[in-house]
Amino acid sequence: MDLSLTREQRAVRETFAALFGKQATPARVRRAESTGFDQLLWRHYADVGALGIGVPSDCGGGEGGLLELALVAEEAGGHLAPIPVAETAAGARLLGRLGEKELLGPILRGSVIVSLATHPGPVSQQMLVDGAIADAVLALDGESVVYVTRPNGLPKTARRNLGGLPLAPWYAPGATTVLAEGDGARTAFDAAVDEVRVLRAAALIGLASAAVGIGSRYAIVREAFGQPIGMYQAVAHPFADAVTALDGAQLLVRKACWAMDSAHDDAPALAAMAFVFAAETAYHATTHSLHVHGGYGFMEEYDIQLYYRRAKAWAAAFADPRRELLTVADRRFGPVTTGGR
Amino acid sequence: MEFAEPENWARIRREAEEFVAEHVTRDVIENERRTGDGVDRALTRKLGERGWIASGWPIAEGGAGLDPFEAAALWDALRKGGVPTAGPGTTMLPANAIRATGSAELKARILPGVAAGETLICLGYTEPAGGSDVFACATRSQRDGAEWIVNGQKIFTTFAHIADYCFLLTRSQPGSAGPRGLTMFLVPLDSPGVEIQAVHTMGHERTNIVFYNDVRVADANRVGEAHGGFAVMRAALEAEQNVAPGSRTAWVAKDALEFARTHRGPDGAELINDALVRERLARMAMEGEVAELLDLRVAFLDAEGDKPGPVSALFGPESYVRASAATIDIAGTAGMLDWTDPQSAVDGSLDAHYRSAVATTIYGGSSEVLRSLIVENRLGFPRSRPRR
Repeated sequence: MDLSLTREQRAVRETFAALFGKQATPARVRRAESTGFDQLLWRHYADVGALGIGVPSDCGGGEGGLLELALVAEEAGGHLAPIPVAETAAGARLLGRLGEKELLGPILRGSVIVSLATHPGPVSQQMLVDGAIADAVLALDGESVVYVTRPNGLPKTARRNLGGLPLAPWYAPGATTVLAEGDGARTAFDAAVDEVRVLRAAALIGLASAAVGIGSRYAIVREAFGQPIGMYQAVAHPFADAVTALDGAQLLVRKACWAMDSAHDDAPALAAMAFVFAAETAYHATTHSLHVHGGYGFMEEYDIQLYYRRAKAWAAAFADPRRELLTVADRRFGPVTTGGR
Repeated sequence: MEFAEPENWARIRREAEEFVAEHVTRDVIENERRTGDGVDRALTRKLGERGWIASGWPIAEGGAGLDPFEAAALWDALRKGGVPTAGPGTTMLPANAIRATGSAELKARILPGVAAGETLICLGYTEPAGGSDVFACATRSQRDGAEWIVNGQKIFTTFAHIADYCFLLTRSQPGSAGPRGLTMFLVPLDSPGVEIQAVHTMGHERTNIVFYNDVRVADANRVGEAHGGFAVMRAALEAEQNVAPGSRTAWVAKDALEFARTHRGPDGAELINDALVRERLARMAMEGEVAELLDLRVAFLDAEGDKPGPVSALFGPESYVRASAATIDIAGTAGMLDWTDPQSAVDGSLDAHYRSAVATTIYGGSSEVLRSLIVENRLGFPRSRPRR
C-alpha cells in the first residue's frame, strides 16, 4: 500500500502544469472555442513527448502507466487545454498493444492525430469527439479493431457546441483497415475505452479543482451585506462538499489506474465508477463555483462559465453518467439475467 | 501508487476473524443488540490480552505495535464480526490524550489498565445546551486543597454506566468563556455524587445523562494544566476528527445487494434485474468505494504525520445515510422488520442501518461543523462561527 506519487510522477505533473500554464491561458482557450483545437499548444504538447508517455518503449514510447497519463489529463483539465488528451492517449496505447510501430511513428511526433470512436455502432453514425481534427479513428467493427481514416476533403470544422469540443461526424469515412480480430481484439478495445473513462475522469477532476479555486477565491473577497459572502455557510459549505468529493474522485481515479495497469479483476468496475463519480462531482463543483459569482458568473468575460460548460460537455460527450452506473452494476453484480425492467 | 493490500493486513484480518469465530457467539451479538451497551467487558479483556485495545502502542506498553493501516484492518474486521467496539474505541481517544499530555504518575496508573482491556473511559464533553459547541462548557470545577469539586451535567455520555472513568471537561475559572479557563479531569464514575440516567436511542444504542453533584476529584486525576484544558481537548478532538471512522457505506451496500439478489419487487421481477434497483446499488457501491478510499488515506496520512482535514468524517457518514435510506426504499416492508422477527431480511440489518446511520453524521462533529473546518483549512475561508 502506497498512496504517494513517485518523484518521476511528480515531475510529470510539474512539467505539464508549467506547459499548460503558459500555453493554455484563458485567452487561448477562448480563441479555440469555435475550433476546439489549439494547433500551437498541440505542437508543444507533442514536443515534450506527451503522446508517447503511455506507449511501450519498443514502439518508441516512454513505457509509462495509466497513472502518468491521468496526471497529464488532470493538468490539461485544470487549464481547459483545447487539445484532445483522453482519446488520443488511449488510442496510442491501443496501437502499442497491437504492436503497430509504423502507425505510431507520426502519431507520437504529433503530425498525425488518431482518436478513438468510443460509442457503439459504425463510425459513420457517431458524433466523433475529435472528428473535426482527427486524421484517423480507431473503432470496434463487430469483433475487429479497425483503423478508419478521415474522409477525403472533409474541412476541419467543428460543430458549434457547449464544451468547445472538436465535434464532427464522418458520414462517409475514408479507408478502413482491420488491425486485429477476435476475442483479443474486443478485449483490447474495451480496455482502451475504459482508459478513456479514467482519463476523462482525471480531466474533469482537474477542471473541477480549478473551478473550486476560482469560486472560493471569489467568495472570500466578494462582500455582500457588509461581510465576505464566504462567511455565509450557505455559500461556504457546498465548497466543502466539492473538496471532499474531489479528494474521493482523485483517489478513485488513481485506484482505477493501478487496477487497470495491474489487470485487477475489479478494474472495469473501478474505471466506470471513476467516470461517474468525477462527472457528478465536476458538475456540482462547477455549478456552485459559478453560482457564487451571482450575475457575473453568467457573463462571457468571466472564466468560470468556461469551466461550467465543459464540466457537463466533457462527461456527456462520452456517456450519460447515470447510464454508466448501470455499467458499474453489470461489472460488479453481473449482467441482467432475466427480463428485468 | 500501490493499492494492493500488504500480506500483513490479510494476516491481521485472519487473526481477527479467528478471534471472532472463537469468542463472538450469537449470544454476544444478541446481547449487544438488546442492551446497546457498546462494550462487552469479558470480550474487551480478551482483546486486551492480545494487545489489540491500544493496538498502535508499542508491545512494551501493552499494545501490539501496529501501524495505522494494520490497526484499521484489525478493528474493521472485529467490528464486522460483531465485537461491540464503541466502548474500547472511545476509550482510546482520552487514553491517547493522557499519553500525550498527562502526568507521569497518571499515565503509569491508568494506561496499563486501558491497554489490558480492564479500564474503560467514556467522554464527558457534551452538555444539554452545548451540542457541537463543546467549549460552551458550563460544568464547574473548583479547587479545594488536593481535590477539586465538580458540579454540572453532561449528556450523550455513552457507556458511562459501564465505564470506570469519565474524561470530563469542566470550567475551572468562573466568568471565563469559550476555550479559556477549562480544566480536564479523569473522574472515577464510582465517586459519590455521580448519578447516571439511561437514555435509549432509536438506533437501539444506550447512552446516558450524567449528573455531577459536589463530586470530589483528586488533583492527581487532572489531565494537563489547570485551566489549560483547551490544549488537552484540542489534542483529543483532532484525534477524533482524523481518526478513520471506518465507513459503513460499503457494508450497507453489501447488505442491500444480498437483499436484491434474494427478493422480488411488487411486479414480481427479481430486484437484482431491475434497472431502478441496479442504479442505486451501483451508486452505493461507488460511494462505499470512495468512503473506504478516504478512510484509507486518513490512515496513510496518519502514518506520514499529515492531516487531510475531516473529509472522510464528512463523506463516510453522509454516504452511509444516503445508502441506508435508499435500501429501505428498495426493500419496503421486508426491510423494515426488526431482527427479532423471524421474517426479517438480512438478519434485520436494513432496519438497523437506517436507525443507526443518522447519528454518525452528528457524533464526532456534526456535518455542518466539519464543513466549516474543511473550507477554513483547505480553502482559506474566513471563520463563520463567532469567536469568543
